[in-house]
Amino acid sequence: MEVYKYSDEKFKSINISYNFTTQVEDNSIYSQFSVLGALLAKGSNRFKNQKEIEKYLSKLYGANFHIDVEKIADLYNMEFTFEFVNKEFLPNKEELLDKIIEFIDEIIYKPADWNEENIEREKEFILERIKERKDEKLRYGVQRMEELLCVGEPFGNFLHGDVETVEKIDKEQLKSAYTKLLNCPVTVLVSGNLKGYEDIDKIIMQKLSKYTINTSITSLSPNVKSNCERKYEEIKEYVETSQSVVSLGYRINGATSQDFYALTVYNAILGTTPSSKLFQNVREKNSLCYTVRSKYYRLKNLLIVFAGINNDNYEKAVNTINEQVEDMKKGNISQIEFTTAKDSILADFSEMNDLKFGVVKLIFTNLIAQKNSNSSIEELKEKIRNVTIEDVIRVANMITLEKVLLLGGGENA
Amino acid sequence: MHKMGASYSEELGETTFSTTLSNGLEIYICKKKGFSKKIGLFGTKYGSVTNDFIDITTNKRVKVPDGIAHFLEHKLFEKEGANALDLFSKMGVSSNAYTSFDQTVFYFETVEKFDESIQMLVKLIKEPYFTPENVEKEQGIIGQEISMYDDDQNFMVYFNALRAMYQKNPVRIDIAGTIESISHITADMLYTCYNTFYSPQNMFLVVVGDVDIEKTIDLIEDSINKYEVKSNSKIEKFSEEEPREIAKKEIVQKMDIYMPGLCIGYKLDLCSGKDIIKNECIADIISDMYFSRLSDFYDIEYKKGYINDTIDFIYEGSETFSHLVMSATSTNIDELEKDILEYVDKIKFEPIDEELFETIKRKKIGENILSSDSLGTSYRRVIDSIINGVNTYYDVEVYNNVTSEDIKEFLNNLDEKYRVTSKIISK
Repeated sequence: MEVYKYSDEKFKSINISYNFTTQVEDNSIYSQFSVLGALLAKGSNRFKNQKEIEKYLSKLYGANFHIDVEKIADLYNMEFTFEFVNKEFLPNKEELLDKIIEFIDEIIYKPADWNEENIEREKEFILERIKERKDEKLRYGVQRMEELLCVGEPFGNFLHGDVETVEKIDKEQLKSAYTKLLNCPVTVLVSGNLKGYEDIDKIIMQKLSKYTINTSITSLSPNVKSNCERKYEEIKEYVETSQSVVSLGYRINGATSQDFYALTVYNAILGTTPSSKLFQNVREKNSLCYTVRSKYYRLKNLLIVFAGINNDNYEKAVNTINEQVEDMKKGNISQIEFTTAKDSILADFSEMNDLKFGVVKLIFTNLIAQKNSNSSIEELKEKIRNVTIEDVIRVANMITLEKVLLLGGGENA
Repeated sequence: MHKMGASYSEELGETTFSTTLSNGLEIYICKKKGFSKKIGLFGTKYGSVTNDFIDITTNKRVKVPDGIAHFLEHKLFEKEGANALDLFSKMGVSSNAYTSFDQTVFYFETVEKFDESIQMLVKLIKEPYFTPENVEKEQGIIGQEISMYDDDQNFMVYFNALRAMYQKNPVRIDIAGTIESISHITADMLYTCYNTFYSPQNMFLVVVGDVDIEKTIDLIEDSINKYEVKSNSKIEKFSEEEPREIAKKEIVQKMDIYMPGLCIGYKLDLCSGKDIIKNECIADIISDMYFSRLSDFYDIEYKKGYINDTIDFIYEGSETFSHLVMSATSTNIDELEKDILEYVDKIKFEPIDEELFETIKRKKIGENILSSDSLGTSYRRVIDSIINGVNTYYDVEVYNNVTSEDIKEFLNNLDEKYRVTSKIISK
């Protein structure tokens, strides 16, 4: 177990985030860990149901906790987050830490003995998550594109897995999933106002590390290469909506980890700000959409552009989006586009300090992406400042269009 | 030096300073010590529900198309050949704007370019630039925004509940209007709305962050005093009288979705600004006591497999509307509706669980402190208090003083006669 902490006295509370991260060896993990996470959130050996959990936390001045599961490229992460107020700001300076530590221990390490009814209910709820994934069309357009670009790779799975795997889950599978979870590298991130809690990392190590093994998250590989065919494809999925959604999937070929900075600038010029080529040309000049954005996947070397459009404008939208990408390959990037993109990235980095978990999240990302916790916000900003237009044009030429997806075609669309 | 007022919350250790400039503009500055980011918000007390008023320049009564306040928001954030979002972005500053029923707000967020951003924000709002060409261009963009909301089931289930509750009040109309209604908007109409509702006396400027109070007020004053105040005469708005009765008992809409949505609304009596804030807090407490994971009801419905997410229980009020909305998603929407309605009738007659009530009050103290760790909560509170004409931290005061009788009274006002149901179901 590794514990990282960062204190900032402008905050009034403390965040503790437990991350269990693992390589995906078998795709069934997506379904199994989703059900497992849901069960762990609903009770423990001592807390018989959600009501008991909530009652305990409410008395701790609204302390709260949640469990999130996420795909970090080809890795899988289950995060337990706990939040509570620093005693300094509470009536009578009431100390909550002991009770919080007790609670963490209970939730993570002392699970309930799940019965069939509990298990079946959570399975049903996860099945609902899978079936409702198409309800939000823009989000689905992006997720579906991620899958299309990553067939045969862990990242190509839906976060909660698939219906067949969920339906087959039983207690034995969950028990072994839980054992697997406990054997994952654990990274604990502590942040917020740690005044009066200077030893919190030691307390956590002392009281909560007895169950965990000593592998580090840095030993994991977030990008698993697959042999899936990289060919151009256009896919249309029928939905009956007012608005259609188009998403374009691009692969970044031959990028090294050092290209991250130039690609971040590239992505900002292309489509993350209102000054970007996509916003200016697809939305402002051609009135084709309200939403258009690009998303860069650092660990997977992918880029996805998505927009909500009128179905009749499908071809025009795809062409206009593609023109922007081709334009950048030719080096058509103005000085103002270039500096605006950089400034917006630098501003985003500067704002990270105002998020309670901003700095520790950066540490976590660094551990996965560069295998160490180095590079502060200042160092990152310096590397962004050092990117040149030539660097951006060079990475622009690594990018090829691979898939186009249209969700639409319904009677209104 | 300016004549200054200050509201302080001991619980949050936070102060909001305020002053009114000679032109009538109200300024509020919420000091957030230690934060790098500063947020500036320039707003007008004018939103989608106002579509019938006296044109301040001609003194004649005018009716304008639905969605014009939102359209104006888009167009004000555009200058000759450039979009304001783009202008801010070129300064390394992020910005945005929103329109609700009773307000339109433009804002920026920055770490390093605060002074320039304030000047830019004032310039944008004070220098409107509408032409037939740029109005036409915006119709396509807003058309896509409207379509996006038409496909959003959470939005639709909520708006259908409003449409069921209200017969005349424009709150029943989409904030952005319809593709048809916005096609009638012209540059002249935008100027009419702008001249009438964007005068300093109808506006407010809010700053949240670690800024110097006096210097900030000077900066705002210098930026805005460049502009002549055209007219500061009283604004006159008209609205058709809204009957107490609801418009429709139920609205069911089919959409291309898997997970059905439910929204139950209770139309309530109009009340003062103070009571609006109080009702918001009371509804929040009821939500925790009776509908959150702390409640037996939630446990029962969860065990039946009807709910997995939260059941929202939210009060909303203004000068012209007042209602409570409860919403949830479920694959067993009809059964869930039945259970909720029976339960609401039951809890009205039950004694309040005082122990639980005290636990929730304790929870709220902590939650208020937790939420003060982000700037967003602070500016939402300030704007809410401006719109309702109350002290900035009135909500914190309400949470401290609310009694179980207040809870009881609120529940008793939920009358079946004024109740509506809205559902979104799969096609």
